[in-house]
Amino acid sequence: MSIESIQNLSTPIKGIDGLESGAAERARPAAGGVSFAETLGQAIESVDKIQLEADGQAAKVANGGGNLHEMSLALEKADVAMRLAVKVRNKLLDAYNEIMKMGV
Amino acid sequence: MKIFDATLKTLERALDVRLVEQNVLAGNVANADTPGYKPKELDFTAAMKAASSDAGAEMMTTTSPGHLGLNGAAVSSASDIATSMVLEGRGTAPSFDGNAVDLDRTMAGMAENGLQYGASAKAAGKKLAILRYAVDGGG
Amino acid sequence: MDFLTALRISGSGLSVERTRVNLASSNLANAETTRTAAGGPYQRLDPVIQAIPFGPMLGQATEPTPALNPIIASIVADTSLGRKVYSPGHPDADPEGFVTFPNVNPVHEVVNLMSASRSYEANATAIETLKTMAQRGLDIAR
Repeated sequence: MSIESIQNLSTPIKGIDGLESGAAERARPAAGGVSFAETLGQAIESVDKIQLEADGQAAKVANGGGNLHEMSLALEKADVAMRLAVKVRNKLLDAYNEIMKMGV
Repeated sequence: MKIFDATLKTLERALDVRLVEQNVLAGNVANADTPGYKPKELDFTAAMKAASSDAGAEMMTTTSPGHLGLNGAAVSSASDIATSMVLEGRGTAPSFDGNAVDLDRTMAGMAENGLQYGASAKAAGKKLAILRYAVDGGG
Repeated sequence: MDFLTALRISGSGLSVERTRVNLASSNLANAETTRTAAGGPYQRLDPVIQAIPFGPMLGQATEPTPALNPIIASIVADTSLGRKVYSPGHPDADPEGFVTFPNVNPVHEVVNLMSASRSYEANATAIETLKTMAQRGLDIAR
């Protein structure tokens, strides 16, 4: 087996590299848009902020001050936000698995 | 991995101290007719502060009461700290038999304490429920 | 406004009404008392009720609130003269044979008693209402 044929095999591999880089370019947002990664990051941050707000309210009530219904609302919002985040994550995983099952 | 954060610890402490306060108030109500009785009181905010400043010591786990904490001081629970801070209060002007318990204010205080206990318990339960949902992954 | 301020204010209200009941009862019970330790007939007692700004109790942190807290500032004796009855044989008769009875009007005292009792109930209702509200507020978080 000559080395040239092995080198011929490596060209398709280079082609896959090109595919990946092309995919990365396509994944970059249109000018002025927001990428999916950024959106996901922001979503997780806002869920975290809601959790921290609920924590703050609970700590205020625990220390004797605070407002009971504000605390209840903050806790319920945190609960709903967490449920939404988990549902979205599950859907994303399902979508990912679907895509992986597709095969090339 | 730290699953349970500082807020949960604060809520646990609040529950402990509220329970001590409830016992103090119940004791005052029970002695509402005792001649010469001076009602006891507990400063809730001060007790919470004292219990949380001891929190550093709580980080080291103890398996027997004799173990020492972070600074070599004996580790005490929040209820122990609160119990040690129960003082004999001034009460209202004593009646003819020397009893200084103001039953109405004490009952109102007991209602408030009960509500605050319920609020802290509800908050702790809700936080744990959120954690449990996240762990279960929603099925 | 601190959420549970109303509980403490209602508690003070209950205490004030209880004192009013005690004083009305004392006046009624001593309506015919002609001799006291200070000499002279019994003088009816009046509560002086003052509304003070609500301060922190036992060092608890509270936000300033416009609601005022009622307290009994003092208990004053009514120095007006009661009725004089001519009764020379009475041990407490003065040199002219008149006995001075306390300045207690039982009708007034009973009216005070009823008013204090109704106010006590009203304050207790206020406490129950606030407890219900707080529970509803907590029930938001199921």
